[in-house]
Amino acid sequence: MSDRTGRLVRRAVAGAAALLLLPVAACGGSGDQPGRDGPEVLRVLAGSEVKDLEPLLARAAGAAHVTVKLTYAGTLDGADEVASGAADGRYDATWFSSNRYLSLIDGASAKLSTQTKVMISPVVLGLRRAKAHELGWDTHPVTWADIATAAGQHRFTFGMTNPASSNSGFSALVGVTAALSDAGEALDRAQIDAVTPRLTRFFSAQTLTAGSSGWLADAFARRGADGSTGGSTAAGQVDGLINYESVLLGLAGTLKEPLTLVYPRDGVVTADYPLTLLASSPRKEAYDRLASWLRTPDVQREIMTTTNRRPIVPEVRPDARFGAAPLLELPFPNRRDAADALISAYLNQVRRPSRTLFVLDTSGSMRGERIDALKQALAALTGADASVSGQFSRFRDRETVTLLPFSSAPGDPRTFTVPERDSAAVLGQIRAYGEGLGANGGTAIYDSLRRAYDTLAGERPTGDFTSIVLMTDGENTDGSTYDDFAAYYRTASRTAPAFVVLFGDSDTGEMRRVAELTGGAVFDARTGSLASAFKEIRGYQ
Amino acid sequence: MRRRIGAGLALLLGAAVAAALVLGNRGDDGGDAPAALVTVHGVIGSEKKPFFDDPGVRAAFARHGLRVEVDTAGSREIATSVDLSRYDFAFPSSVPAAEKIKQKRGATRVYSPFYSPMAIATFAPIADVLARAGVVRDSGAGYQVLDLKRFLGLVAKGTRWDALPGNTAYPARKRVLPTTTDIRTSNSAAMYLAATSYVANGDDVVGSAGQADRVAGTVAPLFLDQGYSESSSEGPFEDYLAIGAGKTPLVVIYEAQYASRLFAADGAIRPDMRLLYPAPTMLSKHTLVPFTDTAAEVGRLLQEDPQFAGLEARFGFRTSDPKVFAGLVSAAKAPIPPGLVDVVEPPTYDHLEQLISAIERRYPAAGKPSS
Repeated sequence: MSDRTGRLVRRAVAGAAALLLLPVAACGGSGDQPGRDGPEVLRVLAGSEVKDLEPLLARAAGAAHVTVKLTYAGTLDGADEVASGAADGRYDATWFSSNRYLSLIDGASAKLSTQTKVMISPVVLGLRRAKAHELGWDTHPVTWADIATAAGQHRFTFGMTNPASSNSGFSALVGVTAALSDAGEALDRAQIDAVTPRLTRFFSAQTLTAGSSGWLADAFARRGADGSTGGSTAAGQVDGLINYESVLLGLAGTLKEPLTLVYPRDGVVTADYPLTLLASSPRKEAYDRLASWLRTPDVQREIMTTTNRRPIVPEVRPDARFGAAPLLELPFPNRRDAADALISAYLNQVRRPSRTLFVLDTSGSMRGERIDALKQALAALTGADASVSGQFSRFRDRETVTLLPFSSAPGDPRTFTVPERDSAAVLGQIRAYGEGLGANGGTAIYDSLRRAYDTLAGERPTGDFTSIVLMTDGENTDGSTYDDFAAYYRTASRTAPAFVVLFGDSDTGEMRRVAELTGGAVFDARTGSLASAFKEIRGYQ
Repeated sequence: MRRRIGAGLALLLGAAVAAALVLGNRGDDGGDAPAALVTVHGVIGSEKKPFFDDPGVRAAFARHGLRVEVDTAGSREIATSVDLSRYDFAFPSSVPAAEKIKQKRGATRVYSPFYSPMAIATFAPIADVLARAGVVRDSGAGYQVLDLKRFLGLVAKGTRWDALPGNTAYPARKRVLPTTTDIRTSNSAAMYLAATSYVANGDDVVGSAGQADRVAGTVAPLFLDQGYSESSSEGPFEDYLAIGAGKTPLVVIYEAQYASRLFAADGAIRPDMRLLYPAPTMLSKHTLVPFTDTAAEVGRLLQEDPQFAGLEARFGFRTSDPKVFAGLVSAAKAPIPPGLVDVVEPPTYDHLEQLISAIERRYPAAGKPSS
């Protein structure tokens, strides 16, 4: 690995880690009451997409007399939290890239008060310049159908976020489906069924997935022309990304080879970032001040300049960076069952299957609550978690799952393949296997991780999204060391990232190095639950 | 959803309030404060919030010893689910909703200080395409109308934009459907429903449950086939101003939304933008129902005081004296007609409610994720 790549990896992993750890840091503490003279605090449950506004928001204290306290959550998780009432009293407002999915949930609208759109960004395709040129998409108008045809012919590959975790993926999925179905009106279940074969061809070209837009962009940057590791991917170079225009424009400046943005002429789905007051919040005035300030022309111009998003107020016109292509908006489903059927079809039928290995610490220190938490977290992934986001993070149809428990030495890996239909029996077997885990002995982290990579190396390459989850609650006590593992890791070209879960008394420094080395990411379950860390990782698999 | 000037001033105002609070906290006796204002609480349709937030309006109320605090809600919610006992008045956007509230609360008076016709905002090339298709025509009185009967015929056939004859200006694959707000919550969509149901009912106001049921089947696709729609009437109009024809080639609005932008001359209405009036159209008569005498004074001022009439017109509302609105139209050289000919009345509250419920039933109940 060259120095340059090494730097990129570090930066990307650090970015991902910060993104994931920040919620914990941001929501700790209880000093939410405004000081007598200080700015009022507005607690905002937000999508990680708005993280790039933090520097701007830091100035809201002076300019609008509001201190904005952001806590990040995934789109569906956030929707769950608002709809179930769990957000009441804990937050004053939400700020996701769109309220559309949330509004489809029964009873959710009653939880929301005023909504103020702050900025705009459409979901489009960004391609490496040479590839765009090769396909003729830099000069000719393109439709999603054209893109689907090229995808089916394996003429390019792309990355996209998981629609169940991230709004950009969900919007892209809706857009592609609406365009390919050629329906002209909002999608229903019959149309989704009919278009599934075409979607499958389209998404055969998706070779990179992620749980968040920012991480996807970093993984893409890492997978430059040298095709090095990073992200849950099938092998090889990734030619482009489907993501927010703002992310793609921001990324374009950091890549060696510029991106060409392709605006499909048959339509896009656009995020409008509504800052939304929760009906339960008493801080309406603070909300009003912040919303007004965000829409002043100067702030709108600054948002455009620093985050590449289009302004929402007509007084500020979008500048030249956005080009002149007309943005046709595709209809968005207005039925919850249609939206859910679409996500479900994508995960279980349309996209490439997942190949996942779970390397699980069952050493003596896991005894008691910790092993129970692990059993619970595994059970949740077999369908026991009845929440919306829980249902979408279960082991998917066509997924091959290996559970590799370890203590003083790696245990026997046990592999399950979830069938295309009637998944219940296999899911039950996985759950039963998890229930049978005991806790005894030492902690041979690196021998076990090596066993996982050996298992993968022995398999025929399938093009599945392949990744490893490493969960351990303590330091390495048996077998090879981190340095041994790193030396082993570099002996071959490997593409499976390791997603590392910090739990109990994990060796944080070493765990970060594992994530860095393999192009994975670190997830913290020390303050939250193991189940929610697992759930979040599912977005990346 | 907020105007530029309003936003700036609101900030100043916010700061002033904060300062006042700080200062107020310091003094114990509160000595020579200006005469205390009587606060009146109201629940209003969201389209009137910029009006009540306006510093000029607040100052005008203050001169009469009043401070008006408002919460917003959809007119349908105000008439049904909002706890009205927490308020001194309700100010929905339609007569049917106001009548319902008046009945429910046993109120004796109502005030209808201003109104605004339902209109459709679009763009010149799109108006031209629709004119070629025979659904938009000149009224002969200086404005263009959208012939609702012909338009519904076009929609019923599932016509797509790119199937309209000679349409090179907007060759989109999507269906010809005006953007509305969510019919289940918002009054502007309900006004559009009232007008289209009139046409679908053979040019007659829907007057029975049977008619409502029958007509709902015809007009439901106007709402359901759009897909997701927003709950507040400011949302789609914002998209129209900021994103343009790509998202909202046709958007159902109140004339006041468009007119206030023209009067403010803030550049939001660009030269290629057009305002069409459906024929027939419907007037949104903003009607205040007071529950207390002080609230009645608010209604009286809004309806009778010429100073308030001037402020109302600035926000694009038409008041009882047409000269006020006309003056602003001519000063702004705005392409807005002095009056409209083809105006019909909405159904009664109960029948409108039956229509909305019949459409609501066509949204399937929320299902569990099917994974």
